[in-house]
Order: sequence, then C-alpha cells, then structure tokens
Amino acid sequence: MTELDAPLRELRGMCREAARDLRTRALAVDADPADVERHLDSPTLTLIRVASTPKRFRADGSVDDGGYSGSCLARVIAGVELARGDAGLICANTGPSLAGVAVDALGSEAQQEAFYDAIADGRTWTFFGMTEPDRGSDATAMETRLEAAPDPADGMLLTGAKRYVGNASRGRIGVVFARTGRTALSVRGAVVRIPAAGYEATPLDMIGLRGARICAIDLNGVRVPREDVLGAHLPASRRGLWGIGRTFNVMRTQIASMALGVALAARDLVREERPGWSGHERVSARLDAALALLHDAAVQVDHDPDARRPPSVAKLHITDLAVRTTRWAAHALGPGAMLEHPLLEKWCRDVAAFEFMDGTSNIQRLHITHDVATRATAPRPSAGRVTTPTADRVTAPQGAA
Amino acid sequence: MRDTIARCETTAHAEGLAAGLTQALAAARDGFSPPGRVAALPADRVPPGAAAVRNRLAEREGIGCFVWPGREAERPHHVRPGHETERPHHDGASDDTTTEFAVLLGAVRLGATRRLLEHAVTHLSGRTVGGEPTLRKQLVLGTVADVMTGVEAARHALLTGASVPDAVADTHERLTELDWETTKLLGASGYLADGPARTAHVSRLLADCWVAAPGGTP
Ligand SMILES: Cc1cc2nc3c(=O)[nH]c(=O)nc-3n(C[C@H](O)[C@H](O)[C@H](O)COP(=O)(O)OP(=O)(O)OC[C@H]3O[C@@H](n4cnc5c(N)ncnc54)[C@H](O)[C@@H]3O)c2cc1C
Repeated sequence: MTELDAPLRELRGMCREAARDLRTRALAVDADPADVERHLDSPTLTLIRVASTPKRFRADGSVDDGGYSGSCLARVIAGVELARGDAGLICANTGPSLAGVAVDALGSEAQQEAFYDAIADGRTWTFFGMTEPDRGSDATAMETRLEAAPDPADGMLLTGAKRYVGNASRGRIGVVFARTGRTALSVRGAVVRIPAAGYEATPLDMIGLRGARICAIDLNGVRVPREDVLGAHLPASRRGLWGIGRTFNVMRTQIASMALGVALAARDLVREERPGWSGHERVSARLDAALALLHDAAVQVDHDPDARRPPSVAKLHITDLAVRTTRWAAHALGPGAMLEHPLLEKWCRDVAAFEFMDGTSNIQRLHITHDVATRATAPRPSAGRVTTPTADRVTAPQGAA
Repeated sequence: MRDTIARCETTAHAEGLAAGLTQALAAARDGFSPPGRVAALPADRVPPGAAAVRNRLAEREGIGCFVWPGREAERPHHVRPGHETERPHHDGASDDTTTEFAVLLGAVRLGATRRLLEHAVTHLSGRTVGGEPTLRKQLVLGTVADVMTGVEAARHALLTGASVPDAVADTHERLTELDWETTKLLGASGYLADGPARTAHVSRLLADCWVAAPGGTP
C-alpha cells in the first residue's frame, strides 16, 4: 500500500479545502452549463488551470500548485478531493486539459509554446477531438481526413465529423485527430484554432457531468497550417495514436479519481445526514480500499508509464463501485432521496459519465486481459523476433473530457 | 393481476414511461401513497396545488415530481426516530395498495427496460469495431443475454412476489441494474438527455420515490 508523505498529505488537505468552492457552484453549472464564464475566477478553477499547465508555460508563476503536477500519484490525490467538491466544474474549466496532454506528448517545442501562449489568458477553453459519430472505442478506424489542400499555401484540410467532444463549442483551440492515410500509423493530431471556416460545434444535451459540455463537431475542409500538425519531429511510429497512447494510462487514473471523488461525496452526504449511524462502514471500507488501489495504480504508472493493467483495473473497479455507491446512498437516505437531495440526484447522473470516458468497461476488460489473451493465442515466439505495433496492440485512445 | 401487469408492461414498451404509468394508475386501487414525502406521476396527474419538485429529465419524460399533499412538513425518512423508520402511518394509506402499485410500476419499468434493450441492440447492430459488428463482440452479447435473462426473471418475480413488499423492492433494484447494464451498451449516446437513457434515469427516480429500498432503508 502506498504511504502518502507529508507533502502529498498537504496537497490532499489543500485540495479538500479548495473543493468547497466547487461545491457551492455545482448545481448552478448543472442547471446551465453554458453559463460558466462567471465561475472562471473561482480560486479553485484558477488553481486547477495553473496546476495542469507545465511549469515553464505558466503565466502566473506565483500560484503554488502544492506539488499537483509532480506525479500521477499527486494528480489522483488532487483529482479525488476536487471531484468530491464537483466533477462537473472540473470539466467546465478553461485550460490545457486533454488537448494539453496531446500537445505535451506530440508537439514540438515551438508547437507547445504556441499552444500555451494561446491559452495564457486563463479564459480559453480547449478541446480534444478523437471520438466520431461512428467510431468511438475503435479510434484507430476513425474516418476524419487530414489532406493536403489543392493550393499548397493553404496547408492541410480537415474533413469529417467528431462527436462527444468536451467544450468544443466554446473552445478557441483544440487538437483534432484525423487520418492522413489508410494505416493506423497515419492518424495524426492537428491543432485547430477557432473561429475557423468550415468548423461548427454544437453542444449536445447531456444527462450529467453537464459542465463538460460535450459537442458534435462538423469539419468541412477546415484549414490547418502544416506547422500545426503535431508530431513531425517524432519517429513515424510515435507521431500519432501510438505517441499519445501511454498518456491514456495517466488519464484513466484521472477519470477513476473523479469517479471515486463523486462516490465519496455521496458517502459523505449520508454521513452528514445520518450522524452517528454506523451503516456506512462497509461502503466506507470499500471506498478506502478503492482509494488505496488507485494510489497503487498511480504509483505504478509513475514507475512505468506503459503499465497498462493497473490503471485499467482502477478505472474498471472504481467506475462500477462509484455507481453502486450512489445507489446505496439513495437507499440510505430513504424513499424519495433523489428528489429530496438535488446534489445526490446530480451525482447519480454525473457518475455514469466515467463509464464512457477514456475507454468503456469492456475496453478496460480487454486492456486488463490483453497479455493473457495474447499468451493464449500467439504462436511460440522465435528467439530475437522483433514485434512491430499492429492495430490490436494499440492502447486505442478513448476520449475524455 | 397478471393481465394488468402485462398491459402496463406492453404500454410502457410501446409508448414510454408516462403512458405506462397512466395505465398503472387506471388499474391501481385507491389508497396507495409513496413511502416517503415525495412522489412522481404523469405530469397531467399531479394533484392540483401540490408543491412541485423540479426535475429536468423527469419533465422531459412527461413526469411531474411533487410533495405528496399533506406531507409538506414531514421530516425526511432518515431523520425519523428509530421506531418510526419503517414507514410512518399516513391517513388513508394502505401498505397493500402501495405494494400493488409498486408491482404495476415494476411492470411499467420492465416495459421501458425492454424498449431500452431493443434500442441498444439496434444501435450496436449498426456499429462496427475492428471491422466486425459491435453487437457480435462476445462481451457485448454476454450483456445482452444477461439483460434478456434478467427481464424474464423480473417479470416472473413481479407475478410470484407481488404480495411481498421486499421481493417487489428487490425486483425494482434489479431493474435499475439491468437498465444501467443496457445503458452502458449505448456508449456515449447513452449519456444524452434526448436519448433513450433518459428514460432509464427517470425510471429509477420513479422507483426511488415509490418503493422503499429492499430490506428497508439501510
Ligand atoms: C462525458 C463524456 C465526455 C467525453 N469527452 C470526450 C472528449 O473530450 N473527446 C472525445 O474525443 N471523446 C469524448 N467522449 C467520448 C468517449 O471517449 C466515447 O464515448 C468512448 O470512446 C466510447 O465510444 P462510443 O460512445 O462511440 O461507444 P462505442 O465504441 O460504440 O461502444 C458501444 C458499446 O460497445 C462496447 N464495445 C465497443 N468495442 C468493444 C469491443 N471491442 N469489445 C467489447 N465491447 C465493445 C462498449 O463497451 C460499449 O458498451 C466523451 C464521452 C462522455 C460521456
């Protein structure tokens, strides 16, 4: 089990405190996810924005992020506590978010600089366009195209459609993945700056986690200068999906941390409403165990960024436990609890989101058993055989807000 | 009762929750009331003057939520003293008629569950992953088989356990689980408020206010 040292415990305390601010805004953003601008000066959203920006690109060097950005472990500790305040607010925030993760993994120094420069005002939403109407889990088969424009001066053109992309209607810069050719290796990320001719994003009405503001995007020959296509400086095998694949191990622990935060919030509500009642103990013990599991998974990702099973185990277990915990909380608060406690009703809706983000449960099952399944079917390896990436070995990136 | 249950299921399956619930109300005996303070009914059946409890998704499903008239000042269930925790006595309310209504509601929910499953099967038969229909993936088929099985088991449980409140509550809990398993099959389309998963959430809200938890509030 991972023991948290003093700085990590301090970070946890700091985020627990900061989460209170998110809680006060939670129902307002759920009711009207378009009206988020007025929350952007929240000290907690500011902290999250700064903490998720690489130190060398931070506009405001004075904000102390408490070590948030130091490790995957620090991020999950912070993620749990902040989501315990409100996960919807976290997803509604401006800042680098997943687009930043893509730019960090695939962008050249100049591309990173340009990206962080574009969002330095702290008022800029970003988006990460991977999922398509017909291609979700199967990202390697995406159909959106990135092709050379007829006039070379126009660079490349993006054509196709994306769906369920967080903050795409209010984003001013984002990364959209598209194919430049037929193979899985030809999928590349392109930085898109909005407004852009041919780009149209329409918000979709969500059941929960409404701050994420997922959208449908139409891409009708959107111009992308060649210097905004990510990964040209990397070896061919790491320019696109493979280059970003390992970052999804970190993202999975992040999604699990948000799910656990929501579950803890529901458990906390029961404890507040039923002081002195010991009936929460079994659920609390499960949540404690899940937290320990998540910490261990994060530590393993810190040691080996390619470790695929631990984050998938954490996500599979915790998203399920979180859904069950909200059900238990509704029972524990008696008939009508979902209507009597608007936050609980919201958490019951929010918690479902984590199933779909960054790979569904079935996809996690496939990740968890990947090496077992390969062992069962693969012919005996000959000595010194070199393996090359093929579609079935890819950690197919699953979108997340 | 068997025919009534079948009618409620068929109506909800064909026309949705609110229509199924209207059918259940037509068949229910007088005297039922929710176990807690709040209730949800088809919007046009909310008692005039009842204090509304706003719920966006329920409204879009044609369901109105409200405080049961006369219970405005009642304390929430979990803060009642120990001897009252099972169920406060409400004038005119009968446990039998309430359980009966919960059975009819179970049938309505069952119809909605089947509708959701059919939608999921149609949705996944039109999608592919790795060049193969998603529906043919064994993990997916496993879930479809489990939900189909759960639907049959729930229908029988509603018939045989109709007089046992805890059995009825247990069936409702299983329906909530079946709906979630099915919703997962929809991918992110199962997270849209104008899609069929909205019904699953509202179906759960209905159970939450009309049926006490299996085994009573823990
Ligand atoms: C709140 C939220 C935020 C999101 N944010 C973003 C974002 O910012 N950017 C972005 O690009 N995307 C985003 N997504 C989309 C998300 O990444 C996709 O929903 C996810 O990848 C699943 O794809 P899908 O919805 O098309 O489902 P599908 O892939 O169609 O899956 C449908 C069902 O089939 C199952 N299935 C699929 N393949 C297999 C298989 N091989 N074996 C067994 N079962 C299988 C799945 O488990 C699921 O149950 C977001 C989604 C949500 C809900």
